[in-house]
Amino acid sequence: MKKSNLFSVLSVLFVLALMISACAPAAPATEAPVAEAPAAEAPAAEAPAAEEPVAPAEPFKVAVIMPSATTDMAFSQSMYSALVAVQTEMGGESAMVIQYSENMFKVPDAAAAIRDYASQGFDLVIAHGSQYGSSVEEIAKDFPETAFAWGTDVNTFGLPNVYAYTAAAQEGGYVNGVMAAMLTQGKQIGVTGPVEVGDAKTYIDGFVQGVASVDPAISVNKTWTGSFSDVALMTEAAKTHIAAGADVLTGSSQSVAGSIGAAKENGAVLWFGTQSDQAPLAESLVVASQVYDWTAMIKQIIANKAEGKLGGETFTLQLSNDGLKIAFNAGYALPAEVKAAADAAIEGIKSGSIVVEP
Amino acid sequence: MSANNSSSAPKRISSVEMKNIVKRFPGVLANTDVNFDVRAGEVHALLGENGAGKSTLMRQLYGLYKPNEGEILVDGRPVVFNSPADAIKAGIGMIHQHFMLIPTLTVTENVALGLTSSREPMLDLDVVEKKILELSKAYGLKVDPSAYIWQLSVGEQQRVEIIKALYRNAGIIILDEPTAVLTPQEVNDLFATLRKIIAEGHGFVFISHKLHEVMAICDRVSVLRDGAMIGTRSMEGVTREDLVKMMVGREMKTLPHQDHKEGEVRLKIKGLRAIGDRNTETLCGVDLEIRSGEILGIAGVSGNGQRELAQCLTGLRKSSAGTIFLDGDEITHMPLLKRMEAGQAYIPEERMQDGAIREFSVQENLFLRDHAAPENTHGIFLNFKRMSERTAEVVKQYNVKTPTIETPIKNLSGGNIQKLILARELSRKPKFLIAAQPTRGVDIGATEYIHQRLLEQRDSGTAILLISEDLDETRSLSDRIAVMYEGKIVGIVGRDGATVEQIGLMMAGISMEEAMKG
Amino acid sequence: MEEIFSQAVLIGIITSAIRLATPYIFASIGEAFSQSSGVVNLGVDGIMLVGAFVAYYITLTTGNLWLAVLGAVIIGLLMGLLMSFISVTMRAEQGISGIGLYMFGLGLSSLLFKVLVGSVQTIEGFHEMDIPGLSTIPVIGEIFFRNSLPVYVAFLLIPVAWWFLEKTTWGLMIRAVGQNPAAADSLGVNVNRVRYFSVCFGAIMASLAGASLSTALVNLFQENLTAGLGFIAVALVYFGGWKPVGILIGALLFSTVNAFQLWMQVLGVNIPSDVAVMLPYLLTIVALVAVTSRIRPPAALNKPFDRGEN
Repeated sequence: MKKSNLFSVLSVLFVLALMISACAPAAPATEAPVAEAPAAEAPAAEAPAAEEPVAPAEPFKVAVIMPSATTDMAFSQSMYSALVAVQTEMGGESAMVIQYSENMFKVPDAAAAIRDYASQGFDLVIAHGSQYGSSVEEIAKDFPETAFAWGTDVNTFGLPNVYAYTAAAQEGGYVNGVMAAMLTQGKQIGVTGPVEVGDAKTYIDGFVQGVASVDPAISVNKTWTGSFSDVALMTEAAKTHIAAGADVLTGSSQSVAGSIGAAKENGAVLWFGTQSDQAPLAESLVVASQVYDWTAMIKQIIANKAEGKLGGETFTLQLSNDGLKIAFNAGYALPAEVKAAADAAIEGIKSGSIVVEP
Repeated sequence: MSANNSSSAPKRISSVEMKNIVKRFPGVLANTDVNFDVRAGEVHALLGENGAGKSTLMRQLYGLYKPNEGEILVDGRPVVFNSPADAIKAGIGMIHQHFMLIPTLTVTENVALGLTSSREPMLDLDVVEKKILELSKAYGLKVDPSAYIWQLSVGEQQRVEIIKALYRNAGIIILDEPTAVLTPQEVNDLFATLRKIIAEGHGFVFISHKLHEVMAICDRVSVLRDGAMIGTRSMEGVTREDLVKMMVGREMKTLPHQDHKEGEVRLKIKGLRAIGDRNTETLCGVDLEIRSGEILGIAGVSGNGQRELAQCLTGLRKSSAGTIFLDGDEITHMPLLKRMEAGQAYIPEERMQDGAIREFSVQENLFLRDHAAPENTHGIFLNFKRMSERTAEVVKQYNVKTPTIETPIKNLSGGNIQKLILARELSRKPKFLIAAQPTRGVDIGATEYIHQRLLEQRDSGTAILLISEDLDETRSLSDRIAVMYEGKIVGIVGRDGATVEQIGLMMAGISMEEAMKG
Repeated sequence: MEEIFSQAVLIGIITSAIRLATPYIFASIGEAFSQSSGVVNLGVDGIMLVGAFVAYYITLTTGNLWLAVLGAVIIGLLMGLLMSFISVTMRAEQGISGIGLYMFGLGLSSLLFKVLVGSVQTIEGFHEMDIPGLSTIPVIGEIFFRNSLPVYVAFLLIPVAWWFLEKTTWGLMIRAVGQNPAAADSLGVNVNRVRYFSVCFGAIMASLAGASLSTALVNLFQENLTAGLGFIAVALVYFGGWKPVGILIGALLFSTVNAFQLWMQVLGVNIPSDVAVMLPYLLTIVALVAVTSRIRPPAALNKPFDRGEN
């Protein structure tokens, strides 16, 4: 009797735990139908849309696999917001269907999701993370009718149905750097980040160049915590910068919220954001954010599809193609000359008179 | 909870009675309608073979189990014990065979455990210590209250157990096989202490299967067999034979000792050293020779290197120095399997841990070693038909009581498991056999059988190393006895070359010369 | 390199270390109680997450930090009761039930966060509280007496836990039950009650550890906020040899090295960031190996108690 009881209790607990963890990423979103995993019950994905004779135009179906939450105020949110914006522009769910799988930090899980979406007849499958590259390369070969996009990277593997996309994060970094250099009083700026790779690195490289262009004497100190999720350490890193005398901070990570928390607590420290508009986190502290805007890219891909093109191209978000934007925080009173310098930098980069090394 | 610090101790109980006790476990009737009583001022022996229901009966008296039927009376008043806490409160104490002590705590902390402090919630260890010293003085129970249990010898630990019971003002104290781990001298000390405590008006239940001890200390004796009470009688005029008859229900043959025909030296150990589990040297240079057709018994209090010696000989433990020769070939660093092929067999001390696999059937356990032998296989497959025939044969031949040969071995009694292991090992016709505690926890009937088999094996020319903590067993089976103390052989005597007392002194580390003088 | 040893930097490192050590101390002390009684609770991280979320959510909606702490205590108690029911009453394998509890906590806190909050929002948590008089002492005051309430409580917990385990009758029972439950049982100690108490206390502390993270250290919640911190807390219990002072040393060592590597990076000491990040873990492993020989775990750790009647 002991054994069987024990097993039933354990299994109930496990099922409960599994259920809850499986449900968690699938909370209701208002704009789009949501699936926890690309399971069979996906409402809009029953049959190839072409068999729907009555519908005037079958909806364009997009699936996106993201490493963090759609609400991360950073990388994943930038893509999700762009998709929702395009959907609204195209006329809502009847024109475009979005399904997403978030928090897919385990690559094998992500690969399974990519394959599932592809086999369900989605028009476009976006693998939103540089760690998904090899999965995309493998799966895309099996679904030549489906368009795949992945980033941030530039490699399409020579496949006709794979797009790669990347962001010239150094450009916005440069603009932020110019502003930061003009705003720092103590001539000291702190940078926090998780790992020294990808657009986290290029953003900061650009930022450092921007600062140097104003005043080479200003020191920019960097800390890397080695973890995308350790908020406690990220917060402490920001506190360390502040204790060491920094009065302007920036950072480039999904868990950057902790740094903003530390800045907020101190009250006198300014913040520059990237990837997404981070002003809502601390209205009075965020000066500006570099925002990734993927809408143009998504629209281009949809247009290409209509012409029968499924990939083989690399997109780069830049200030010049409006893929990158600087969102100035309306809640922060930015001195006019700083704003002017920022605008000048933006124009300079767009026109090519300022070259920012990635 | 006993008021441990009040100067006026409450009245001590003077009698406990168990009436018509029935205790069932799933599939087993452990006690059937048992009556038992014990009074202050006496030692009442509770005698019976392993599995006769002695411990079960006493565990009910101590509140660890609840009887299915029957009642318990303390000083004539009926009581119900839901836990040991209730029994302690009622004035009953129990000293378990495996001491219920916490090695990492001090003597005082062990005594204070579970007591209500005079300064709740703070501990009052100073008060407890003072009272321990009082008790220690009053009863001649020498202990250091501030010592940690792990620092104490077995005898000292037993004294702590007794103090724990006395501290809780136990009127009746149950002793479960209290002498199993003691040297003969320590047994004498224990008996002296018990007499002193009895004189103060306490009573004891003495669980044992060692008849001479029962005869030496007890006033009354009750015998349990198969869960039922065979009878209770005063020790006056009772002989050893009477007790045996009550225990097993028939007369036992005492083993006639036949002289052995000694052959050439089979096993030769020179300067063997080994490191024990606690990272200290537990074998400190052992020299031994065992001849064909001879049983060499190792006597000693457990923990003096016997286990490590057996392990080194089987290849389960690496020796750090020294050499072992079997029939003139060095086997010191030979792996276990090779040693078995060379003709060595092993009856391990922990039969359920090292000798058998609990969940496996009788048959599977029997063929654990030899399943790959040519006669048991068809190519890479096992020959199950032949194996089950062979199992049935062995079960019959060795008188193993098992419902079927498919029964998991864990459902067999200790004696039957041991017979099966013996069958497995002896069927290999070994040149050299190590028998470690071959009859521990085995009933008298099976013990008798195992002893006979070992002697037969000896007569057929096998050299046997017998390691036993039961000095009686060692003395009755061995042709020579080597006494071990702290990893060394203190001395080797012929089977009739020394008295129990002399061997006892050697077991306590006294040199052979000194011991023989005494 | 010299800069590293300037007074300001040293003060900075120690202040950071004390802050970082806070959740570890809560969680590890709690786990030490649980393990001392013989129950390994690997669900610490899950309990922390749930506690962190509950405290965060109550603060977010009511602004009342005391209510938040109360909420964390209650949810911790519930998680503790669940763990003790499974591992003590049902005698389930402790490692597996702990991992189950962790997954449950991770999933539950993520779900609740999604449904009730949605995206990252910061809260007004515990502010730094200068201790009058003491905080003005040079250096010492700056380091020790300008912290938030949970930090003070964590450090006060060390002597209290030591006193409780070593000097009270309940502490003796906990230690005894973890070493030899049969012996404690034979002296009338209710083994299961002691284990329920210890596991529940441990879970409440874990929950408070989570609350200290979300309401004092980072002032926000996000999915998997603890990032495995609870597992390090379990390791620190071994490191500390089940003793509060040992745990304090372990937690401080770990957090000091972490603070040290952050400062090294801030000061631009030229070593690869990957190496810096590795330092605390590396050091923990080295220290664990160094102290492991003198460690004596509770003998009944991971062993359910059964009187053997059934």
